[in-house]
Amino acid sequence: MPVFNFFHWTQEHGYLLAETGPLVAVQIGIPTALRQHLAEKGIAIPAPVSGHALVDTGAFATAVNEEVFTSLGVPHIDEVPTGSAHGPAMSKVYPANVTFPAMNVADMPMERVLGCNVKWKTRDDKEIIMLMGRDLLRYFLMVYNGLASDVTLCY
Amino acid sequence: MALEKELALFAKMKPDLLKTYDGKFVLIKGDDFVGAYDTAENAYAEGVKRFGREAFLVKRITEQEEVYRNQALALGLMHARL
Repeated sequence: MPVFNFFHWTQEHGYLLAETGPLVAVQIGIPTALRQHLAEKGIAIPAPVSGHALVDTGAFATAVNEEVFTSLGVPHIDEVPTGSAHGPAMSKVYPANVTFPAMNVADMPMERVLGCNVKWKTRDDKEIIMLMGRDLLRYFLMVYNGLASDVTLCY
Repeated sequence: MALEKELALFAKMKPDLLKTYDGKFVLIKGDDFVGAYDTAENAYAEGVKRFGREAFLVKRITEQEEVYRNQALALGLMHARL
């Protein structure tokens, strides 16, 4: 099982793990079936959208900023009830392929990702576009080392 | 929101779908029930094959639909909203 370390520290900002939470670089791409369809039709395949995923052990389902799907041209395939700070709501569900370049995980298919408006930048300029929920974390082993501002992930 | 027709048809058909396809994934486009599939991936692949980039519904057939709860969002701990 390959082991990957993510040290949350910069010269300018110092130790950041407690402030930002565990972050991993991520790319969101269109689902394989849609990619094959576009290729067969000779239509340009949109490039994956890059950003960072925040590991969110409190989340059951992985959520991705809806603007990502708009830019990829992927329509939603379902609407499901969700609970949020603003009370019960309905959220859109999208299919996606997820890539973690730093861990050599490419095109992991996710048939059901929640759309949300999570999008903000950390002080060290990392743009968060995804909350990595337990549906994805079930494939990983994670060690949160608060003292060293370091997160270890094994896939 | 899009998928209004599809969701309405699903709600109408749900009692019958539960009898035959409980646990499977339905594919619905407009007013047409296309089929039920073992996985969401298969239902989506069939949807793309037939309808390309157009909107269609892929939904799990289950008695009680699960409510997705993200605790940090539910407690208002993050600048995000589902």
